[in-house]
Amino acid sequence: MNLVGVDIGGTFTDLVGCIDGRIVTSKASTVPADPTQGVADTIDLAKVDSASLSEVLHGSTVAINTVLERKGARTALVTTKGFRDVYAIGRGNRIEAFNLFFHRPKPLVARDLTFEVPERINPRGEVLISLDQAAVEELAVTLRKRRVEAVAVCLLHAYANPEHERRIGEMLRQAMPDVFVTLSHEILREYREYERTSTTTLNAYVGPRVEAYLRRLETYLRAERFDGKIQIMRSNGGVMSITLAQEQPVSMMESGPVAGMIGAGRLAADLGLERCIGFDMGGTTAKTSLITNGAPAIEEGYVIGGQASGQPMQLPVVDIVEIGAGGGSIAWVDANGGIHVGPQSAGADPGPACYGKGQVDPVVTDANLVLGRINPRRFLNGKMPLDVAAARCAIQERIADPLHLSVADAALGIIRIADSAMSLAVRAVSVNKGVDPRDTALIAFGGGGPLHSGAIAREIFIPRVVVPKLPGTFSALGMLMASWRQDFVRTLIGKLGSLDTPPVEAVFGELTRAGEDQIARDGIAKKAADFAFYANLRYVGQEHTIPIPVSSPKWLTGDLGPLRKLFHTEHAKRYSQSAPDESMEIVSLRLVVTAAREDNLAERWLNEPWRAEGGIEESAREVIFDDPDRPLKTRILWRPSLPAGITIDGPAIIEEPNATTLIHPGDAASVTAAGHLDITIGQEVHS
Amino acid sequence: MTKSHPITIEVVRNAVVAYADEMANVLAKSAYNMMIYEVRDYCCGLLDAKGRMISQNRGGLPIFLADLGPAVEDGIQRYGLDGFKPGDIVVMNHAGVCGQHLNNVVIYAPCFHQGELVGFAANRAHWVDIGGMRQGFGSSATTEIYGEGLQLRSLKIYEEGKRNETLWQILRDNIRYPDASLGDLRAQVAACQMGAQRYAELLSRYGRETVEDCIAVVWDQAEAAARRVVETIPDGEYEAESFLDNDGRNLNVRLRIKVKVIVKGSTMIVDFSEMHKQVASPLNSGRSGGIAAARVAFKALTSPDLDVDEGCFRPLEVILPEGTMLSAKPPAALGLWSIALPTVVDTILKALAPAIPDRVPAAHKGDMGGCSFFGFREDDGSRFLLLNIFGGGWGGRPQEDGESASVSICQGDVRNTPIELQEIKYPFLIEEHALRPDSGGAGRYRGGLGVVMAYRCLQKCKVNINLERITDPPWGLHGGREGAFNLAIITRSNGSETMVNKETEIELQAGDKVTFLTAGGGGYGDPSERNAQDIERDLAEGFISPSGAAAYSGGRG
Repeated sequence: MNLVGVDIGGTFTDLVGCIDGRIVTSKASTVPADPTQGVADTIDLAKVDSASLSEVLHGSTVAINTVLERKGARTALVTTKGFRDVYAIGRGNRIEAFNLFFHRPKPLVARDLTFEVPERINPRGEVLISLDQAAVEELAVTLRKRRVEAVAVCLLHAYANPEHERRIGEMLRQAMPDVFVTLSHEILREYREYERTSTTTLNAYVGPRVEAYLRRLETYLRAERFDGKIQIMRSNGGVMSITLAQEQPVSMMESGPVAGMIGAGRLAADLGLERCIGFDMGGTTAKTSLITNGAPAIEEGYVIGGQASGQPMQLPVVDIVEIGAGGGSIAWVDANGGIHVGPQSAGADPGPACYGKGQVDPVVTDANLVLGRINPRRFLNGKMPLDVAAARCAIQERIADPLHLSVADAALGIIRIADSAMSLAVRAVSVNKGVDPRDTALIAFGGGGPLHSGAIAREIFIPRVVVPKLPGTFSALGMLMASWRQDFVRTLIGKLGSLDTPPVEAVFGELTRAGEDQIARDGIAKKAADFAFYANLRYVGQEHTIPIPVSSPKWLTGDLGPLRKLFHTEHAKRYSQSAPDESMEIVSLRLVVTAAREDNLAERWLNEPWRAEGGIEESAREVIFDDPDRPLKTRILWRPSLPAGITIDGPAIIEEPNATTLIHPGDAASVTAAGHLDITIGQEVHS
Repeated sequence: MTKSHPITIEVVRNAVVAYADEMANVLAKSAYNMMIYEVRDYCCGLLDAKGRMISQNRGGLPIFLADLGPAVEDGIQRYGLDGFKPGDIVVMNHAGVCGQHLNNVVIYAPCFHQGELVGFAANRAHWVDIGGMRQGFGSSATTEIYGEGLQLRSLKIYEEGKRNETLWQILRDNIRYPDASLGDLRAQVAACQMGAQRYAELLSRYGRETVEDCIAVVWDQAEAAARRVVETIPDGEYEAESFLDNDGRNLNVRLRIKVKVIVKGSTMIVDFSEMHKQVASPLNSGRSGGIAAARVAFKALTSPDLDVDEGCFRPLEVILPEGTMLSAKPPAALGLWSIALPTVVDTILKALAPAIPDRVPAAHKGDMGGCSFFGFREDDGSRFLLLNIFGGGWGGRPQEDGESASVSICQGDVRNTPIELQEIKYPFLIEEHALRPDSGGAGRYRGGLGVVMAYRCLQKCKVNINLERITDPPWGLHGGREGAFNLAIITRSNGSETMVNKETEIELQAGDKVTFLTAGGGGYGDPSERNAQDIERDLAEGFISPSGAAAYSGGRG
């Protein structure tokens, strides 16, 4: 079985494949105007024959960038009459409680593109006012006249009865076949109109752009005679088919960052690390996530673009903190003489000054180059020689001269500022959650992760850094380990003990059919899929629920003893108390369908004994660590040549095709049996 | 000079807040009443053995600002530091000490390290009922605290882990929703136990001396940060006044909110000496109300982005003589204790506006904005109480328009209740939830809009209406116009309409409709200076109507 994972980042496109039992990798520049080009380039570079592949896995930041840059489709929103402003009003809350100048979430749809239709359904799903179909026909005319590219429809209580939404969907899709239409019940079958509206609107807003992008990707691959499955990485840590991704692009918001964290989780489990922090630094951003017992936490939704004024997205998502600091982040000086790094990025084009494509503002990579930390002849496996003079020149003109610093001093300043910003992000997932970084390890990957992880670890006292094999393309590797996953939910409200069997069986049946339909559409064998049902339960009177696994309708309608016991136990575990005498109710039934990979090629490879290539390749050069005036004579080692068991004391630099690991003075790196770098940070740890 | 390592200080700083947040999570996720799980009308925190605030959860209610201290200090006085045992849990809502309406019930647990009392984990949460003659919000019926429910003064509801059954029975028999409130009590207790345990773990890990040293550093840093900002305000005495409409019982007398702010170097004094005297209605608070208002204004001006602790208010002095409506003497009724506070905060800001025009927005909606419907369900006879909080407009700002549909300065991460959730739980059909066009005060930068919320009753019930600031609507600054004031309209099923300002327990029948229109924010700067494109956009999006645009006539092109 041959498969590849391709991860498109803001700067580079990475590929990792398992081909005839071997691991292949490649890295190419991302082409923002046509990301498919980057995919094509990595496939060519890796010398993979597309026709030989049975599967392509893919992760991309296209959906989230569309939201963050607010470059989505011209979108209209359709609501129940009287509720046009539900989306603009939101929940009325102010997260920044004392900020007089707070900003509310800025709607993705203008008020003059929000339309009401006469209809009303109550919480039991009963129709109080029938849908005014004539009004919908008129609306279709208006929408065409207003040249909208996407429409989100979210009606009150559509989770209980989606009939009106369905009808509007049919009518609009028929009247405007080229417009991307999203209906709330297709995305989320749960009450809370604002969050459902926001999630639905996000889907419509990113829909046309993501759909077009995925269509181009598929067209390209098919033209290359690829006839296998295309799977897309999704925010919940699983994968889905390309068809589903085109319908539900909102579920690929975190498609980019997630795969690396899934990979880091597997590695942590294999290394027996109970708690660690995944750290991924690419060209545009750095991402970090707390990993506990082999998996990053999954949240039931999050807010895109910041808690205080971002857009709520109510689907399961891996918990990741991301900041705008990457290798391509631009360094600049403000009016008061302060140096800043990012959030603007030079991306892949023009890229850093050292690419020699005319970039005049220095970036983090330029600074690393000037300090001697990156080898100009080995960047991108030697395919892109870097121009040190251009990097020096950019730093001199933009940073050093205005501040009357030496170039080395300015370069070191840029690195320190970037390190400090990234440390804050790592802190956010550890210290800010009450986790002491001294009890954790950092798993560092991405092109820049191993270069900066030592300084970050030092700054916040993480004693250990692990740089896995293939750090530069680790996210793409992580994709090869992800399961197929889809979450479903249906509202089902009633007291335990008085639930009638037929409606409960009906909901189980409905969910089962939805899951079976989906696996059938995605070409997954029924026996390969795992169907896990969860009842969302609470004590009568409570609002929040706890999911408790239930294997059949009998759990809810037959002997309730086991279910009650599980709930009391889980309630006590989460909230340190339970109320065994109180009655309980169910609010909804969830179904999580997963299909683990049949092969286990990538994870097996990750743990395979390491075999060094030939004798140790070593050279030396001058590298600036802490003192810009006193470069240190530093050992430069070629990672593929280092045998398992060897220990390298810092200062040292370990180079490999797509990454550079910096070992600071006082630190020591050893090569594990499987070939990972296990680095001990040698700073004295105070209490 | 501190002995502690900088990274330990950072760990402690963040850990104590993370524990408070964890307590809040336990409370909100296992609570039984929407005032806690949706409205987030609670606060959680850790206090040291002297009752000083170590940390408080983020979000929650801004007016619960480092005010768990007095509640805990009362217990320390009563029992002595050696009078607490592991497993004790204290309940407290006494009006004379806490100064808030009795629904705000404080629960706390002592925390021990190596056998010594080292602090307390505490929380305050809004119980849906505490007995007495009032239901929900907005009743003006009481003149003394005794009509407002049970007072519980530093009583141990658990002693060394054993529940006080007498007290429990008294609670169960004297409140309207015993299952909900005792369920909330259970959640509050669990949150305290968890907080106390986390703090004890922190002490075991680093040692008491180190942790307390770190906390002292954090307080000093918070104080220094606030002082640095106060120093940037020109020294001087600044005054402002505003008015509440009436106390709800005597409708003829406006209540004067008079404040003087004195800035001297790095210290700020807020002087409430000329505040209106306490009233013979529930529109009073104890001292904690006045102090909370001054603190909210101070925090917003000095360090809105830093966590709340004991240090950040050291540069603030509050002069508040006894017997004003913000420092009422027992047995004053306190049922509407928080109603005046957003206006008090805005008045403090108004006083400072001439001194720091680029840091003070125009007035916001200025009330706590909520509704409360109650009755008995016709199908099963059970009692219900629907509570909701509405946002309104915020004032125009020095560089931009005010935000719309947001909760008051005294409510932070307080959320409105989803329409779908209200309709699932209560016998109402909500017919409209919309922005209120033309409600934002005109100005170079327009005030934000209020909202419209219309409830159709599906059965007989009652409602309390308690609107404020109708005679003194949200003011503009520097030439900006005032925002629209609050309205409530009752439309009977026969089509007759009545406007109501303040009325308790209004009878409603099936088919009657109650529509609330909340206030808009004041404008900032002269409306004639507003950019023509902004006026065009407001018209296109319907934030102003063509007739509303008249307020900008003379606008430049």
